[in-house]
Amino acid sequence: MIEWSEQHEMIRDAVRRFIEEEIVPNLEELEHGDLPPYEILRKMYATFGMDEMARGRFERQIAKAEAGDAKEKKAREGDGTGDGAAMQLIPIIELCRYCPGMVTALGVSVGLTGAAIMSKGSVEQKKRWGLDVLTLTKIGAWAITEPGSGSDAFGGMKASARREGDEFVLNGSKTFITNGPFADTIVFICKLEEEGVDSRDRKILNFVLDRGMKGLDQGKPLRKMGLHSSPTGELFVNDLRCSIDHLLGGEDALNKSHGAGREGAKDTFQTERSGVAAMALGIVSRCLELSVAYSRERVQWEKPIGEYQLIQEKLARMEVARMNLQNLVFRTIELSAHGKSMGLAEASAMKLYAARAAVEVAMEAVQVFGGNGYMAEYHVEQLARDAKVLQIYAGTDEIQIRAIARDLLTG
Amino acid sequence: MKILVCLKQVPHQDARLDIDGAGTWIKEDGIKFEINSYDTFALEEALRIKDAGEAEVVVVSIGPDRVTQALRTALGMGADRAIHVKDAEIDGSDTLGIAKVLAAVAKEESPDLVLMGLMSDDGNASAVPPMMAELMGVPSATAVMKATPEGDGYRCERELEGGALEVVDLAKPCLIAVQSGLNQVRYASLKGIMAAKKKPMDTKSAGDLGLSGVVGAAGAKAQIEKIYAPVRGEGAEIIEGSTDEVVTQLVGKIKELGLL
Ligand SMILES: Cc1cc2nc3c(=O)[nH]c(=O)nc-3n(C[C@H](O)[C@H](O)[C@H](O)COP(=O)(O)OP(=O)(O)OC[C@H]3O[C@@H](n4cnc5c(N)ncnc54)[C@H](O)[C@@H]3O)c2cc1C
Ligand SMILES: Cc1cc2nc3c(=O)[nH]c(=O)nc-3n(C[C@H](O)[C@H](O)[C@H](O)COP(=O)(O)OP(=O)(O)OC[C@H]3O[C@@H](n4cnc5c(N)ncnc54)[C@H](O)[C@@H]3O)c2cc1C
Repeated sequence: MIEWSEQHEMIRDAVRRFIEEEIVPNLEELEHGDLPPYEILRKMYATFGMDEMARGRFERQIAKAEAGDAKEKKAREGDGTGDGAAMQLIPIIELCRYCPGMVTALGVSVGLTGAAIMSKGSVEQKKRWGLDVLTLTKIGAWAITEPGSGSDAFGGMKASARREGDEFVLNGSKTFITNGPFADTIVFICKLEEEGVDSRDRKILNFVLDRGMKGLDQGKPLRKMGLHSSPTGELFVNDLRCSIDHLLGGEDALNKSHGAGREGAKDTFQTERSGVAAMALGIVSRCLELSVAYSRERVQWEKPIGEYQLIQEKLARMEVARMNLQNLVFRTIELSAHGKSMGLAEASAMKLYAARAAVEVAMEAVQVFGGNGYMAEYHVEQLARDAKVLQIYAGTDEIQIRAIARDLLTG
Repeated sequence: MKILVCLKQVPHQDARLDIDGAGTWIKEDGIKFEINSYDTFALEEALRIKDAGEAEVVVVSIGPDRVTQALRTALGMGADRAIHVKDAEIDGSDTLGIAKVLAAVAKEESPDLVLMGLMSDDGNASAVPPMMAELMGVPSATAVMKATPEGDGYRCERELEGGALEVVDLAKPCLIAVQSGLNQVRYASLKGIMAAKKKPMDTKSAGDLGLSGVVGAAGAKAQIEKIYAPVRGEGAEIIEGSTDEVVTQLVGKIKELGLL
């Protein structure tokens, strides 16, 4: 893929119009108030038929699983065009021009929570929880991080599941959980209590929790630097009792090897990381566009500031970043057209570059705008605050570097 | 029931417009285009008629290759078929020339209803719809705010100056040129956009429509002499001083002019 097709541009224009009509007028409330993003996201899903498309995909997947197609997961053939991937990435890019938080809220609900249920759950569990999350009828949260374990998510994890007859008793605290305060359906990741097995090596299990279950407490949104349109909070699980129906994969999950849960989570990291390039592209293209316009019109010493080389250097660097990010997004789409996906090291490299580029460009945009850049009205300060999170979640920069270097040194 | 919707592709409302070398139009290369806003309301009206019953919605647009994007967008929103009239010979047509081309398409299609926008965002002439209706020999109404089926035609409410409305009845076949804002224009769904690729789009030339030598710059009775930005006048007076002084002086000026 070397450029956007006519269809892609049409999707972009339609989504852009929706954003201008439905999101921009609410930006103040979303970014500086307490308006949760879910109703607008649902409206977007309904407007563009994304809920129906998700339902269609779900039904096909279930039909295949029920027909006993064991190769269900492996049979990922490309559609030859990458249009499926493009249809998912274009709204991410467009939303991030205004509201990277909305993409986070959406991505965690559909992309992480929905995908976890669909890849690890039994057919019953997919029907019970998966469909509603994929269509945004219900909001999902995916909880792995704890106060004491972030980058070393599995190693330091304290959340536990104890088997008592037919039941499990769950305990643990999670933090920084996207959608945590409002989620209806939560994937709670914890370790099986096993006699004589070192905590580091215990089996990783994924439970689905419903809002309102006894023993589950969903904290209020935490105050944070940016990404205000994505509510983030703590979850407290205290002697929560549930049946094995809530364990994704059921008995099978208990019988899997000790490393299996960790490997499964790595697939999730890989998807998460490739989405970040699209997010960065949205932030960078908006910052560039605003900076170019401002450089043309802002006059100091009788000249538009765009005529000063120091400003030109900033604009040129922004454009280089935009081109690189666009090519990374094209590569993601092209891979998907051929039914392939990136390896973990490549996805990590892409995420590292994308996050750094977004932060650098957004901070430089603030600089081009001078005093106005520091003021909320000009919007670049919000994008700069929002961009920073890309270097932290879905694996910090340092963790991406570690993954890239390990691959180089052991490969 | 067949509805023909005429769409014009115009420079995007956010596009930066620079006057071209000849000084008679704007530089078109590198700018974004979109469907004329008035025409989107006409298309929506057609799609609503289709949603409410049986109707085939055919969209037509005149222009270079870029126009296919406007037509594909209309197909993505739900139109069934598109006609792209593409011919360098048509370049430089005046409004009558454009009306002749559209009337020729209408003659081939014989629609029960033609829907279009009252005017175009770029040309602002408001001339094509009535001319086209005359050439077709069908009744028409402009600045329509509401159209409801009535007997064998449509009852139209037209917007007049000062907020008054005029009600006219048109027998089918007829032509309705809509005012903006008469409906809420839908979005193309993602599935609709992907499906648009497979919907039929015919390309026609002036010759195909029997109009060779009749349209284009040669046949135009009106020609654009020049386009220019109005020169800044000298009439402005800036009142300076404290707020009280400014207000007193301003009120004085208004009284001086006998406006108060
Ligand atoms: C807005 C937001 C939303 C989030 N949403 C979710 C969510 O929905 N679900 C969820 O489970 N989590 C979520 N997280 C948590 C996120 O994944 C973690 O914050 C992230 O993985 C980093 O973990 P930590 O905060 O504990 O930092 P730590 O792991 O404590 O890291 C602190 C610093 O040490 C560095 N560091 C750590 N280990 C090493 C090492 N071995 N070598 C070099 N440097 C190292 C890190 O790079 C970092 O700079 C979210 C976070 C944020 C900010
Ligand atoms: C929080 C805050 C508090 C403030 N408090 C005060 C205050 O109390 N009193 C007060 O008077 N002011 C105050 N200011 C204003 C501040 O001093 C100005 O914002 C600052 O001097 C920059 O001017 P500007 O915003 O007009 O940016 P501009 O001068 O328009 O600069 C825009 C961009 O162009 C660049 N640029 C401009 N000229 C050139 C050139 N020749 N070559 C290369 N690059 C150039 C700048 O470096 C910047 O990147 C405050 C600003 C802020 C943000």
